[in-house]
Amino acid sequence: MTAQTPTSAVTANTTRAGARGSGGVVLWTSAGFLVTVVLAAVFAPLVAPADPNAIDFGDIWAPPGADHWLGTDQMGRDLLSRVVHGARESLLGPLLLLLLASVLGVAMGTLAAWRRGWVDVLLARVTDVMYAFPGLLFVVLVIAVFGSGMTTAVVALGLAFTPIIAKFTRSVALAECAKPYIDAYRVQGVSGLVICLRYLIPNMAPALLGYLVVLFGEGLMSLATLSFLGFGAQPPSSEWGLMVQEGQSALIQGVLWPALVPGAAIALVVVAFNIVGVRVADRLNSRR
Amino acid sequence: MTPKEPALSVSGLRRAFPMGRGLPELVAVDDVSFELAPGGSLGVVGESGSGKSTVARMLVGLERADAGEIRVAGRARGVRERGRAARLRRAREVQLVFQNPLESLDRRLTAAQCLCHVLRLHGADRAGADRRALELLEQVGLGAREAEARPHRLSGGQRQRLAIARALAADPSVLVLDEAVSALDVSVQAQILRLLSRIREESGVSLVFVSHDLAVVGQVTDEVLVMYRGRAVEHGPTRRVLREPEHPYTRMLASSVPGPGWDPAEVVRLRAEFAAASEV
Ligand SMILES: Nc1ncnc2c1ncn2[C@@H]1O[C@H](COP(=O)(O)OP(=O)(O)OP(=O)(O)O)[C@@H](O)[C@H]1O
Ligand SMILES: [Mg+2]
Repeated sequence: MTAQTPTSAVTANTTRAGARGSGGVVLWTSAGFLVTVVLAAVFAPLVAPADPNAIDFGDIWAPPGADHWLGTDQMGRDLLSRVVHGARESLLGPLLLLLLASVLGVAMGTLAAWRRGWVDVLLARVTDVMYAFPGLLFVVLVIAVFGSGMTTAVVALGLAFTPIIAKFTRSVALAECAKPYIDAYRVQGVSGLVICLRYLIPNMAPALLGYLVVLFGEGLMSLATLSFLGFGAQPPSSEWGLMVQEGQSALIQGVLWPALVPGAAIALVVVAFNIVGVRVADRLNSRR
Repeated sequence: MTPKEPALSVSGLRRAFPMGRGLPELVAVDDVSFELAPGGSLGVVGESGSGKSTVARMLVGLERADAGEIRVAGRARGVRERGRAARLRRAREVQLVFQNPLESLDRRLTAAQCLCHVLRLHGADRAGADRRALELLEQVGLGAREAEARPHRLSGGQRQRLAIARALAADPSVLVLDEAVSALDVSVQAQILRLLSRIREESGVSLVFVSHDLAVVGQVTDEVLVMYRGRAVEHGPTRRVLREPEHPYTRMLASSVPGPGWDPAEVVRLRAEFAAASEV
């Protein structure tokens, strides 16, 4: 779980992508890969060669081959079909948790920057506490209270990501509010709420979207981690983190595939997302 | 409203900024009073830091006044008024054209959208707003091509024209311009100044023209208020103040205006004289 240090991750990614120069094979390969993964997730039943839950105890831990392109797991289920179907949960989860976190975080950050004074101080304290609290501990506590499951994991992680987004939004909003065009709206008689919703947040959108794109990778990994620990997706789901966890028994037996396939899926998607995301963020921000 | 009622009347305006622990507060504006007749035009001049922008911001309510009163057409502008109706009424009393046109325009909106948003807020329907926006753009000399452009694609002069049109969109009785032409080159300055004079004639709006440049103020105002370190040191008809400045500070400012018979040596002498006088 790396939810506590996204800022350093963002800067590291930015410099790395900056050094790579514009365009390039890596960028287009990453983008192509992501499009393929998303399409595969959307059309999973058509793409997957087999039923992801079809058990065949006569054919467990089969190596990659003509019958099973990526091999089978400890129950003889087709690994390719399982990652393809699992992509749905594995991608939708981080999307939903970021949606929750950004609605809350952007609202809190904007409110703090707009109202300043005691509202800002109060929100700063709340975010500081949430920030300092180890994200994993917080999430595990929430899950301990509400029980394991994908929904709880998404909500808990969404709450854990909220202060990160709030803090970022606040700093962007403070800079934006200092610009005279915001004063101009006040002078025109526009209400504070309308200024924030209609003008301030849309003007911050490029900066916020760029940041969210990079957080997506964090979200995906955090959610996979929770599933790996048994707090998130539950069997017979083929969420990638859960698949890695189920692949452990095979690893002990020296069979690599069942853990390697979903593990590689997570790593490749996160890396590709960061490469494309940082570039998209740069584009959005330079257009301002 | 009686016909003799001033469009804008300011009395005893004061604003001090705290400068941190142990330091005396900075009095940016100290006991400033003036009146502006309907359709009149007042210049506020002074060097950098003399408190001009602070006065302008207090007039539109972006800065609170520590003391003093601002009346528009006889009605006191309250410190804190809530509610939509009060907000819109205040906006129609005084509008401001900001010092930096690019920064004061929303980069997401085209010129036409920028005006339509203000017009819609102040009660126009969609068709009416579209029509009036084009009228306003035409009034400030912007055409159909500029109407669809976002601020970063406009020139400095065009941005300032748009900023003026936006301020006029709320149909204010007083228009405050803070260094409206300072960032522009001389020929564009002259165009904008002519535009302002024409707008004043056409719409009867009263102008408060803030500038550090006495020459520019001389071209568009009937009266001038000279500020020095937050205080109004001289106040009178612009012609008189330009020709026979009374206060040493004004004399120095006036002598700095290049023109027929302008003598740089005289400027140096007056500067020295003023410096000596302000030592005492
Ligand atoms: N928000 C603020 N906080 C602290 N001090 C301020 C603030 N706004 C203005 N001041 C101070 O008040 C004084 C007057 O500032 P103001 O901006 O009104 O000057 P000005 O005459 O408009 O100058 P310029 O010609 O450079 O725009 C300055 O000394 C400035 O530092
Ligand atoms: Mg100023």
